[in-house]
Amino acid sequence: MNKRILYLVWVMALVCTQAYAQTRKITGTVKDAGDGSALPGVSVSIKGTSIGTQTDGNGNFSINVPAGKQILTLNFIGYTSQTVAITSNKLNVALVATASQLSEVVISGYSKISKKDYTGSAVKVTAAQIADKPVQSFDQALAGQAAGVNIIQPNGVLNNPPVFRIRGFNSISLSSYPLIIIDNVPVFTSTNTVANSASSNPLGDINPNDIESVFVLKDASATAIYGSRAANGVVVITTKKGKLGKTQVNYDGWVGINKAFNLPKLLNADQYVELKNEARANAGLAPGFAIQKDADGNEINTDWYKVVYQTGLSHNHNLNFSGATEKTSYFVSTGYSNQESFIKTNSFERKIFRGNLDHHLSKSITIGTNFSYSNSLGKGPNSGSLPGQAYNTGGLARLPLVLNPNVAPRNPDGSYNITSTGTLGLGANTIANNYPNALVLLDLDKYTSGNTNVIGDLYGEWELVKGLKFRTQYSINKLNIANTTFQNPIAGDGQSSNGLALNTFQEYNRRDLTNKLEYIVDLGKNNIDTYIGYEEYHTTNVGTGTQRTNLADSYFNNFQGNFLNVLSDATTGNFQSENGFRSYFANLNYSYDKKYLLSGSFRRDGFSGLSANNKYGNFGGGSVGWNIAEEDFFKQSRLGSIFEDLKLKGSYGVVGNVGVGDFASLSLYNSGLYGSAGTVYFNQAGNSNLKWETSKKTDIGISFGLFKGRIQAELDYYNNSINNLILNAPQSPSRGIPGNTIAANVGSMYNRGFELNFTSRNIVKNNFSWTTNFNISTLSNKVTALAQGNSDIYGVTSGLETASVTRVGYTLGSIFVVPVDGVNPANGQRIFINRFGQKVQYNQVGTPSKWTYLDGTVAPAIDGTLDGRIAGRAIPTYYGGLNNTFTYKSFDLNIGITFSGGNKIYNGTQATLRDQRFWNNETGILRRWTTPGQVTDIPKVVYGDNYSNGSAIPNSSNVQNGSYAKLKNVALGYKLPTRLVNRAGISSLRVYVQATNLAVVTGYKGSDPEVSSNGNSNLAPGIDRNTVPSSRIFTFGLNVGF
Amino acid sequence: MITIKKYKYTVNAAVLALTMVMGNSCKKDLLTPSPTTSIIDSKAFDTPARILSQVNGLYSGVKSGQFYGGRYVIYNEIRGEEFIVNKPNGVTGLDTWNQNVNSNTNEVVNLWSAGYTAINRVNVFLVGLNANLSKVDAATANQYIGEAEFLRALSYFALVQTYAKPYVFDGGASPGLPLRLLAETDLTGAGKNDLARSTVAQVYTQILKDLDDAETKLPATQATATGATRAFKNTAIALKARVYLAQANYAKVLTETAKLISTTAPYQSPTGGSKLESSIVTVFNGSYTGAEGLLFLPFSTSDAPGTQNQLAYYFTSSPGNGEYYLNTAGIYANAALSGAASTDARKGFITKVGTVNYLTKYKTPSPFTDYVPVLRYSEVLLNAAEAYARTGDLANASALLNAVRHRSDPAFTFDPADIGLQANLISTILTERRIELLGEGFRLTDLFRTGQALPAKSGPQGSSPAVAVTASNYIWPISGVELQTNKLMQPNP
Repeated sequence: MNKRILYLVWVMALVCTQAYAQTRKITGTVKDAGDGSALPGVSVSIKGTSIGTQTDGNGNFSINVPAGKQILTLNFIGYTSQTVAITSNKLNVALVATASQLSEVVISGYSKISKKDYTGSAVKVTAAQIADKPVQSFDQALAGQAAGVNIIQPNGVLNNPPVFRIRGFNSISLSSYPLIIIDNVPVFTSTNTVANSASSNPLGDINPNDIESVFVLKDASATAIYGSRAANGVVVITTKKGKLGKTQVNYDGWVGINKAFNLPKLLNADQYVELKNEARANAGLAPGFAIQKDADGNEINTDWYKVVYQTGLSHNHNLNFSGATEKTSYFVSTGYSNQESFIKTNSFERKIFRGNLDHHLSKSITIGTNFSYSNSLGKGPNSGSLPGQAYNTGGLARLPLVLNPNVAPRNPDGSYNITSTGTLGLGANTIANNYPNALVLLDLDKYTSGNTNVIGDLYGEWELVKGLKFRTQYSINKLNIANTTFQNPIAGDGQSSNGLALNTFQEYNRRDLTNKLEYIVDLGKNNIDTYIGYEEYHTTNVGTGTQRTNLADSYFNNFQGNFLNVLSDATTGNFQSENGFRSYFANLNYSYDKKYLLSGSFRRDGFSGLSANNKYGNFGGGSVGWNIAEEDFFKQSRLGSIFEDLKLKGSYGVVGNVGVGDFASLSLYNSGLYGSAGTVYFNQAGNSNLKWETSKKTDIGISFGLFKGRIQAELDYYNNSINNLILNAPQSPSRGIPGNTIAANVGSMYNRGFELNFTSRNIVKNNFSWTTNFNISTLSNKVTALAQGNSDIYGVTSGLETASVTRVGYTLGSIFVVPVDGVNPANGQRIFINRFGQKVQYNQVGTPSKWTYLDGTVAPAIDGTLDGRIAGRAIPTYYGGLNNTFTYKSFDLNIGITFSGGNKIYNGTQATLRDQRFWNNETGILRRWTTPGQVTDIPKVVYGDNYSNGSAIPNSSNVQNGSYAKLKNVALGYKLPTRLVNRAGISSLRVYVQATNLAVVTGYKGSDPEVSSNGNSNLAPGIDRNTVPSSRIFTFGLNVGF
Repeated sequence: MITIKKYKYTVNAAVLALTMVMGNSCKKDLLTPSPTTSIIDSKAFDTPARILSQVNGLYSGVKSGQFYGGRYVIYNEIRGEEFIVNKPNGVTGLDTWNQNVNSNTNEVVNLWSAGYTAINRVNVFLVGLNANLSKVDAATANQYIGEAEFLRALSYFALVQTYAKPYVFDGGASPGLPLRLLAETDLTGAGKNDLARSTVAQVYTQILKDLDDAETKLPATQATATGATRAFKNTAIALKARVYLAQANYAKVLTETAKLISTTAPYQSPTGGSKLESSIVTVFNGSYTGAEGLLFLPFSTSDAPGTQNQLAYYFTSSPGNGEYYLNTAGIYANAALSGAASTDARKGFITKVGTVNYLTKYKTPSPFTDYVPVLRYSEVLLNAAEAYARTGDLANASALLNAVRHRSDPAFTFDPADIGLQANLISTILTERRIELLGEGFRLTDLFRTGQALPAKSGPQGSSPAVAVTASNYIWPISGVELQTNKLMQPNP
């Protein structure tokens, strides 16, 4: 109310002053010096007068200045007041946020708390860091933005969920994916759902442009209120709300192009024919490959990359309306995104709507809702690049690497060049190929994954007496996923079935009820914020699916056409399960005189998936903090004038991980068929003692602000010690336990490290500002105990290749390969080192044995398991980001670098690229050994050799340094002059160009060191196996305010 | 004004309270839901129908595509010399064909696991059935126990022949398999991860013990409805004969086959009605369960072998994928199969495509539902013939040999030299096995039990050198996963 009166006064003053003749009109724009965003509602007054105004929704103001007045004063809550000399009629002013600790709140768990009083470890990512990025889901945009958060985009398949880790890998058999809360609703993530070849990520159903803030909660103090779900960290997302003032209308849109980044260089037809025939000669075989010429006498030289890859075109549009009155605030938005990948036929389309409404029914009662509806559709070929697909015969990532470059995709008459079994035609070669013609798959196979995702909540809040609030919230997340598959009858995965269609429909339903009673009271120097609550939620998962095979007629090309055979069973996506969750929680935050801080939370969780006697678990955490900067002795010391903020804090707590299967504790029998008779058979060995997995988290931190907010830093040490790991404990296969595992609370592991988040406002001037954010996290992960006898657990890539092991004393999912010692210069044979340290060389055509010692005597064959050794850690030891933001007049420039390192990558793709079957090879193969005495890293090529270069047994020649720094994002924006755009009825208009994945500096030999063929797998991270590359994207965008 | 406000207040409060109560009370069993698509163990033996389904489940374990339902048969063929690799695909047995597997090759790991999964299903079933004997009548229970024991013997026999030294090399003194005979159902129960290998001889003893008991418990005849898809007395006897043959215990072979073969032609079993089908083509019609069948594993469009496990997919180029074709230097070279003048019906199982020949014994198109033959009567005759020949009874040996040959080629006469001398007759019988049982998974075990090297073979995708009986890759390595989890497990040398 006061503001309104003031405003009236200002307006009246303005009216009065207009009576004077000698005034001039000054206009200007006020923005945040940090991120360049417009600041609405800033008070602008003329020094020495009572004349003033406020900036509008786009940060613009206009004021009449009497003659002789030269200075404006700008005031805004949360920003340092600034005086500006009136040097022209058009002013651009950048306000510097005061040390953000003083003003910011942390949205933590079920409440908000002033950052200054906060003793947990949480990091905020703002809207500006997420919006307008050419991504499908907001999590992809978090890379390098926050200390302790590691995001790895596995490859360039659209809407492929990134590997998302907070403070390391916090489980072995369960998920290490964090809990995602959107407007207080725990939502489904990709760890809950089933995808097909068209990738699906439920987080892609959230419009990144609707997000106001993302808080990543990391330590026990921050997360303990989420109890059993908190082990992997919690991501709390708040969507935008309307703000007081006039209605704001914003349009944001971009168009972009998308290209494959850094494809391996392959042999051309001539090189291929020469090399493969040389390999055949070396194997004592007749030549099998020859150049084919077309009708015009030109050599056939097929670039299979061009068959599979393209330049994709994408566009994205968001429109929102928001505003607020004293009683009601609203934010409604819609978004449309249509993105094309560089992989042909891979696309992502999303239509999304959101309505956020808050209304004060009365002085003490508020109700509100956040409601979003999203409809997204991913389409794709079988990219062979999603988890489990690395060896798919029809996987499009591998096909261009292996298909013969001397064979054309089409016959001269335009028909597909294929054999009767759908493999690529022979051309002039005489050796059969067992891979399908990629062109046919792109043309005829279809995969789609459509999500319909409704996330909504309704809440009511009732202030019973001052400071005592009761809040209840009922929310739902309903996610329907429809996956369709059609595989053609002539080539590829559907060929042997004479056409295959598989449609599945999944329904995921979750309802959540939370009641909370909160009491906030200030008793002089004692400030208390405490609450208790009750939450329960119930999730059901239902899938139905049917597979049809054997097309009745080649005319049909979808599921609905006629087929001869139908199958619908557990293998075709039929499932039904449910789980329930019941919790009681309490929290207390106490501060004394703003100096001494104390916080504690407790939660008791019951979960249906655990054994009958162990359903409930108790979790909790506590923390203490000391705001040294508030102490009088400090304020009076010299340091007091430098530090306006200095806080020490520490926390400890116990949280849990809930990712266990819905019926994991039970022993179960499944039913199937024996011919046409029904079967029942033992299918799951349960564990009647299965209980919560617990994670003990310790955090010690210091945070400080220097020079009035110019420099802010936070440094934390963390130690997550995980005990009673729910491990799918490996059972000797000879026990015959289904799946050879039993879920058990065995094993332990830790993640430790330091995190630094450092922000410096290097230059803050009206026309020029430069802000740097640097964040880095270190991670030391070690497995300290496993199941019975500490048996190793192997990580298997796509069910076929074991190149990862989890072993006590080592990092989770370490790279496990047979060591090699180069190539024997005498004979060009690959030298392996066996378990006894002996050198053993391999000759594909050796007789009587392929394996010999260097002296030529027969040696036992190298064995992947027995001779395998750990060749390095697959998890980075450090990672982070360096983000620089510059503004100059109306220009803004953002340069984001992400980096990561200390790890090795198993480059299995290189094994593919050097395999000596008929497969094409990378050009590095030209360094092959040919002459005695020659020293090289590539063995003699011998036709059929799938051992020397690592296809059959992973070896250390394909283990490479995974460290990198990546120029992830560069964006240059320009704000058009207000006067100019005002004429068009627009209050502000910014245009920008943005480039993603511009360059990478790395020692890694593969396409991109930011890779994960096994997605979010804990047991087999850091594997690059036959995956498409990442994408390089250029976008042009607009931000318009009306 | 005031009353309206008050009223509003009350409504608001009521709405909030209602929401709260609703949420709390609507799900009483929130934390104790029951699975709807799986049967909880305490109810797994509740009804006679369910127990019967469990028996079918034992067969389906053996019928896994990774085991007897596909790959076990395929591996036994492609490790021999009858087939040449056409598609150099690591997933479809390239390294197996190349004699180049190691302990973490998928074939090695998966077959081991599938075999033991089938065995444990039997062990778990036997315990469960014994605890629920009141649910079925005694005769039925007996039959089920017999079937379970038979399947356990079949599985152990497959595994011991793959992962251990052939019995005949040293009378079974070599390390065999861990003998798992207890129900393995949980972490702390009867089973433990660590169990040492019994000797090959001990494994054979257990196999024979199971078969002897099964013989007494199984029904004398096939049930009409299920035919050869379920074991009966003759099935157990036939397997016993095969086991004794692998031990070179020819007298015992004859003891067993005597229960199945009449003393005079036309040969048939005295009980159970087992005999040769008049035409072998009938036997490979895709879903044969008749009198020649002692055990065929059935498939249906709803119960298919699974991707890249199907016999027709491997061995035919249409409807299959042409993974392996016949080696012209293998048994294909025999005049019966490739001779221009041959009138042998079995020549009809070979189809020429381009320049190469495919075996089309299995030919049902996708989803490749050809029944997998495990035991059939012609093998029984050949087992007996060989045992007769090796024990000097050339007349009976020749008679049985001719019974098999003449079924497919009635006019054929063996060269007297081939059947007149004991050594030659044995050789002729072994050759006849290769012709008759081609593609049915016998070649490797016949090489093993006769102490032969694995022959060299060569094709366009490369060559595979001979493997001497002393070479480390003569038998497969033990599964690497087993070696890592079972601390008492001893690797193969």
